[in-house]
Amino acid sequence: MPDGGAQSEAEAPASKRRFKLRWRQWLRALHRDFGYIAVGLTFIYALSGLAVNHIADWDPSFENFEREYVVETPLPTDDDEAAAVLVQRHAGIAEAPIDVYRVTDDLLELTFEHRTLHVTLSDGKVFEEGQEPRVFLRAANWLHLNRGKKAWTWFADGYAVVLVFLATSGLFMLPGRKGLLGRGAVLVGLGIAIPLVYLSYVGSP
Amino acid sequence: MTNETQDPDLCRSIARRDFIMRAASGTVIAALGGGLYAISDRLTREAKAQTRDDGRPRVPPGQRVIETLKPMGGTPGDPSRANFKLRVHGEVKSPYELDFAELMAMGPVTVRSDVHCVTGWTMLDAKWTGVTVKALAERAGLESTARHVIFEAAAGYTANVRLREALRDDVMVAWDFGGQPLRRPHGAPVRAVVPDLYFWKSAKYLTGIRFVARDEPGYWETRGYNNHADPWKEERYA
Repeated sequence: MPDGGAQSEAEAPASKRRFKLRWRQWLRALHRDFGYIAVGLTFIYALSGLAVNHIADWDPSFENFEREYVVETPLPTDDDEAAAVLVQRHAGIAEAPIDVYRVTDDLLELTFEHRTLHVTLSDGKVFEEGQEPRVFLRAANWLHLNRGKKAWTWFADGYAVVLVFLATSGLFMLPGRKGLLGRGAVLVGLGIAIPLVYLSYVGSP
Repeated sequence: MTNETQDPDLCRSIARRDFIMRAASGTVIAALGGGLYAISDRLTREAKAQTRDDGRPRVPPGQRVIETLKPMGGTPGDPSRANFKLRVHGEVKSPYELDFAELMAMGPVTVRSDVHCVTGWTMLDAKWTGVTVKALAERAGLESTARHVIFEAAAGYTANVRLREALRDDVMVAWDFGGQPLRRPHGAPVRAVVPDLYFWKSAKYLTGIRFVARDEPGYWETRGYNNHADPWKEERYA
């Protein structure tokens, strides 16, 4: 030892015990604190994962709508802005359009932030379609799919590393029969077996 | 009797048995429901009996027929036809850009084609109005080096298609679906339509068509999906 002292036989088991206690305490503290940090991102990724997993059944980012109705005619065919004002008045839409566009002689298109009105000028038929964002899920999906790129890639990578740490540290949290030498081993085995059985059943990619 | 019902071990045992019975009943009911649903899927059954002109079955393997398109997400672009621009560029003699009126003026065609989504649904006889990619390519004049087409869309989305497949008569950029203007969830104002490949190749919110000499895997192709995406070969994943 650097200080010149020698460890007695009686002291050794005690210091080993202290080390054993200490590393598990550290592990528990780190697991706890990283776990707290991971809560927010886990909710984002888990809820978005559920939403996007079922993308064939619903639109996870928007609520879509469409309807057809007829507004009073005649509508001016030589003044698009005036026609747009009349259509909006009949349809009860107060919001100012982003664009008013004459697609063909008889078809006028009014674009709003979340909806578009396709108006047939001759008979006043309106086909309205649009989508309202699902506020939380749209943002969560955007993050989960990393559509924005840039710095989020770093946060997402960091979160993945934290998850690996949480899973690994969780293995060694408990000593004894409920730990990795008992029930823990069975459950870990089950968790590994599920994807393996699935892959062997449906075939690998 | 009283003692028996108050025995905590027995209570736990009964609760566990009750849980297992309920779970088993739920599973059986769900399985029966799924079975009945599969049996009653008349659309799929009838379509599976049909054969295409090219000899392939009408419905590719692993697909179920539904009655209309599903939105399937994606980052929307500007839905306004007034602001629409389509850039045709890359390995071409005369690159150009079209606004919506110029695109329509190229002479719209209406095509009926089947749509096959990688998630397992198929829509038969989808009616699209637009301009064929072949017509757009002819206007630009392809260089002999062009081998692939990259559909470019809002938010950086891309999808790659082999040139000879992109120049088929039913591959187009469409602005009407089912006789109505293309809806926002389906890629308004203009989307690509590539009927014989899985539907992610049919880029929504289209902004450009780029002809390239070397293949460039697109958004989903670089995220584990198949580079070619032939539904009859079930080329779903890489």
